[in-house]
Amino acid sequence: MGKTMVMKIMERAAHKEVHAGERVWCDIDRSTARDFGGANCALQFDEITENRGRVWNPDKIAFTFDLQAPSHSEKVANNQKIIREFAKRQGITRVYDINHGIGQHVMLEDGIVKPGDVILGTDSHMNLLGAVAAFATGVGNTDIAASWLNGTNWFRVPETMKIEINGEFPRGVSMRDLLTKIVGDLGAGGLDFLAAEFCGDAIERSTLAERITLCSMVTEMSGKIGLILPNGPVLEWLADRAGGEVRERVAAIKPDDDAPYISVLKYDVSKLEPMASCPDAPDNVKPVREIAGVKIDQVHIGSCTNGRYEDIAAAYDVLERGGFRTAPGVRVIITPATTEVMKRCAREGMIEKFLDAGIVFTNPTCSLCTAEHYGALPGGDVGCSTTNRNFIGKVGKGSHTYLLSPMTAMATAVRGVITDPREIVCK
Amino acid sequence: MGKTFAEKALGRAAGHPVSANEVVTVEPDFCVSHDNTGPISRTFKKIGVKRVWKPERLVVILDHGVPAPSSEHAVNHKEAREFMKEQSAPHFYDVSSESGVCHQKFPEDGFALPGQIVIGSDSHTCTYGAFGTFATGIGRTEMAAAWATGGIWLKVPESVKITATGALKPGVSAKDFILKVIGDVKSDGADYMSVEFHGDGIENMSVSERMTLCNMGIEMGAKNAVCEPDRKVLDFINGKEKSSDWEILWADPDAAYARELKYDLGGIVPGVAKPHTVDNYAPIGEVKGRKIDQVFIGTCTNGRLDDLRAAAAILKGRRVAVRTIVIPASWNIYRGAMRDGTLDTLLDAGCIVCNPGCGPCLGAHMGALAPGEVCVSAANRNFKGRMGDKESFIYLASPRTTAASALTGAITDPREA
Amino acid sequence: MGETLKGRAWVFSDDVDTDLIYHNKYLAETDPRKMPQYSFEYYPGKENFAKEIKPGDFVVAGKNFGCGSSREHAVYCLKEAGVPVILAETCSRIYYRNAVNNGYPVLFVKGLSDAIKAGKIKDGDSLEVELANGSIKDVTSGETFRGDAVSDLERDIMAAGGLIPYLKSKKKAGERDG
Repeated sequence: MGKTMVMKIMERAAHKEVHAGERVWCDIDRSTARDFGGANCALQFDEITENRGRVWNPDKIAFTFDLQAPSHSEKVANNQKIIREFAKRQGITRVYDINHGIGQHVMLEDGIVKPGDVILGTDSHMNLLGAVAAFATGVGNTDIAASWLNGTNWFRVPETMKIEINGEFPRGVSMRDLLTKIVGDLGAGGLDFLAAEFCGDAIERSTLAERITLCSMVTEMSGKIGLILPNGPVLEWLADRAGGEVRERVAAIKPDDDAPYISVLKYDVSKLEPMASCPDAPDNVKPVREIAGVKIDQVHIGSCTNGRYEDIAAAYDVLERGGFRTAPGVRVIITPATTEVMKRCAREGMIEKFLDAGIVFTNPTCSLCTAEHYGALPGGDVGCSTTNRNFIGKVGKGSHTYLLSPMTAMATAVRGVITDPREIVCK
Repeated sequence: MGKTFAEKALGRAAGHPVSANEVVTVEPDFCVSHDNTGPISRTFKKIGVKRVWKPERLVVILDHGVPAPSSEHAVNHKEAREFMKEQSAPHFYDVSSESGVCHQKFPEDGFALPGQIVIGSDSHTCTYGAFGTFATGIGRTEMAAAWATGGIWLKVPESVKITATGALKPGVSAKDFILKVIGDVKSDGADYMSVEFHGDGIENMSVSERMTLCNMGIEMGAKNAVCEPDRKVLDFINGKEKSSDWEILWADPDAAYARELKYDLGGIVPGVAKPHTVDNYAPIGEVKGRKIDQVFIGTCTNGRLDDLRAAAAILKGRRVAVRTIVIPASWNIYRGAMRDGTLDTLLDAGCIVCNPGCGPCLGAHMGALAPGEVCVSAANRNFKGRMGDKESFIYLASPRTTAASALTGAITDPREA
Repeated sequence: MGETLKGRAWVFSDDVDTDLIYHNKYLAETDPRKMPQYSFEYYPGKENFAKEIKPGDFVVAGKNFGCGSSREHAVYCLKEAGVPVILAETCSRIYYRNAVNNGYPVLFVKGLSDAIKAGKIKDGDSLEVELANGSIKDVTSGETFRGDAVSDLERDIMAAGGLIPYLKSKKKAGERDG
């Protein structure tokens, strides 16, 4: 019997053969923490080692500041300070401070994520790094602190579901819509404890940004990881950033033809239409046309799910076709994922056009994805967002959020009501 | 005996000649508020009046927490939004790229006009004195009453005359001058008074530099601060005036002053206000080398394009050593910085460029400080705990000094950068 | 024969996310003892949980309890409030790890989601739970349930009191992990 991608990754890290369902101890390639959870990790590590402990390998640890960058309160500031001081004390040099952006994206851009890596982070969307076939998983502070002791942690080897995606996206429809459809089909617990492998010609043609979008939402189905084997321009990009070694890594973790999958799902995106997650759960999914016309108070484009250049460019395209105007009475906020993304948007003149349309362009950060940051909603307001969660009250008590693709979000900003982007881009 | 600026402006508004220490009731030309509009509107409703006396005279600009950094802010914003709508008040600046810090946006859009009376529910309303406006900050209750009645009583203030001659040396900024003045007169040195800036040194300054001076008037206790409106001011407001009922007023040469001070700008050196008061002045030499954790460039005091350019000139081609937060005072300024490459320079230097708003100036978000942390800030206040934890420390300085300090991670003389 | 835990039930639906258990508004808190005050503040109808919870009370939930964020706060806030065990039909992956790593028991109870929907177990019911064999009795309604056993590794970690004490004890014994 062959091996799935996740099994091959875990075998490399566990130095032994693994089987689905068993618990194994894996070597950790990178154990990371953010300004959220990071202070808890540092404090816990100091406590359990009675302030005398040294981390197992400072080069394999990284800190990112993204949840509330810059800090919005003295408490957050203090947490960030605890992290900086811990890093200094432990000789950890990879501290991506508040001027960088969303952690996973920053680490990708900085070339410290390789296919086949086992990565931990205090972010439940850590697993978006599956977009480059790293096994990355969100954990709590105890898992991180424990991994710093000796560089290992335990995992249950997951079974894998194969999701094959073929066809060309129609105009106005994007990877986000596919993903929303999958979340609706499988439900919040649909991938519980499972890994997913995404394959098919639509995946092979997809950009890194699209792969990130897809893999980031595996969490919303309670999945462990969604993996995509890097190929084509994505592999070139990765080799450029992370070194030529990534090619051998890719070859080593390629799933076997006879790998065991608990099920195989197939999607043809050529018949897909824009989709939405309606209040108040990601799996409350409807086609956009069924909710068209709902009045919106705020539109937000960004987050680890849809905050890359390609996402912002897709929204820009809709804005351009919409006459570079947003509807009066709607607040529109765009948050790039990283400084690199922000610089590119600035250089290409996109930011200026967004500003001309009344849109607020913020510094790279998690932004609205947390209630205590840019764009909290008052009770009674309805927002739409390209983030990944719309749980009840998440961005403000008594508010409600629709999760949409960047194109649908911008079409909605242009009209002031939820709008199928095909009405604008297919004219 | 001649009249001071305050006597002339308040006399014009009262409709009869007035002298210092008289109490007059005047109708404000504009009333400015920000995120505190919600609470004011609640007080307003308690008065029992349904309509604001002249809704077109209300200017509400959300800036303290934008976009809303918490549900509490979000609820306040919503209250302001709904109140302005209900009053059919046209001058509402919501969270959008048409906005900015209120004291920047208000003049930018032509509300700050020579000779007019402006009251604001924010202490830095005095900034508009740079346009020859009699502008003063008031409390929320008083603002609610003004909305209801269209009147406000004011004691005609005595005046302080500050004369500046000569020119600032390279590396020295208007901020250094005003910090020195506040250090000299102390934080209560102009209590209740009107501060007038005179002299060729002021005439040679840009409108932006004059805004920095007038903005800091409140830090010496002044009711208002003002510069003589000249061609530069007229060019600035030209075509944007939101009212036609304005006129250039200025003090008579023989006006009577409670106090007079004279400065040679050529003798001003870069300086700072040390923690925890604005009048705790020190020339840069005394604090050089003090370790810092954060740098902040922005606010209604020093977040304008010339400030960002001055910082960028120092940062160009180099990398900051500590986290450096840059917040343009308005979206117009942000655009300008994007067009001329300033923004790019700042990003390349490792700065974090946030969306316009008050940012961490009052510790609400975007860079609050942790216990023990030290910040060099181009803002206007360094009170204990102002930017976050009560055990943090703020040094106020010019954008040049903050930028030079960002490069080294310690307080640095910009003339050496 | 283990000890029988007795307490009241606090009953929750399926897919209770981490923002409902412990809202992101309070993430900056680092002291677990201060976390119980925010428990379930955003859960409609359970806003008073933090005030009214008594040590020994049980949290009873349907499927996918604790979905969403990786925040360990969502475990601490219940553990520190004195909730002795979480009874759920299923639990999200990260939440489960966080619980195990803190030596905090979660019992997976088959059929619990439907039982909650059918009103067979309600808010305020008196429950008796035997952790050792997973037996659960709703004294008020007379219904009984059974919780699933966990794998050996998780049991060992739980028995040690959590991941950190587990790793420390192994280190003392000179064993290599894995």
